[in-house]
Amino acid sequence: MIDYVPGKQAWFEENQPREGKAADEIWIGDVAGSEVPTCSLTERIGDVRGRAAGWDTCVVVDSQGVVLGLLRKKELDADPQTTAEQVMRPGPKTFRPNVTLQELLKSMRDHEIQTNSLVTTGEGRLLGVISRADAEATLAHENAAEGAG
Amino acid sequence: MAAQVFSVSEVKQLLDQGAQLLDVLGEDEFEHDHLPGAINIPLKRLEATTAARLDRDRPVLVYCNDFG
Repeated sequence: MIDYVPGKQAWFEENQPREGKAADEIWIGDVAGSEVPTCSLTERIGDVRGRAAGWDTCVVVDSQGVVLGLLRKKELDADPQTTAEQVMRPGPKTFRPNVTLQELLKSMRDHEIQTNSLVTTGEGRLLGVISRADAEATLAHENAAEGAG
Repeated sequence: MAAQVFSVSEVKQLLDQGAQLLDVLGEDEFEHDHLPGAINIPLKRLEATTAARLDRDRPVLVYCNDFG
């Protein structure tokens, strides 16, 4: 008996083949964007703000890329001398990459989430983000393509 | 016996050599998604009779969700 300790999440994170009733659906790990701005706990908001220009989100991570907190627009507009740790929203909700787009949207609608959702590994390492608007648009496009086919 | 830890590429190599994949997650999770060719025996039902589905002459790679 060999224990594949990293488990199926690690397999899916590397975009390996999959089976199951959700295998042909769009998974958020397939479409999450990895270009989201990040910062460390000790960085000052004034420095982070420039990097996060055009975004309403900056993810606070450790040296391994593990999510520690989240800065939304309100926190990015805070006193520039404060550190990310002082104003961040700790322990934000995250999703695994094998959640389907449909499941994510249901959760976002149920909890009235309008902004970005974080996609992480089982250990909490940031893989990317997906916005509600992008999720809605991707699913609508997919549904339209299926309807046409 | 201590568990052996393998990477994705090592798992693929073992599968190519004939290893079996055993998913010990619940049935709902297995139905949602799993690794190709995996057999599902939920951990709480894993015993000699249910494990009889496995080929005793081939290595068994067992997995659950993640490190947690």
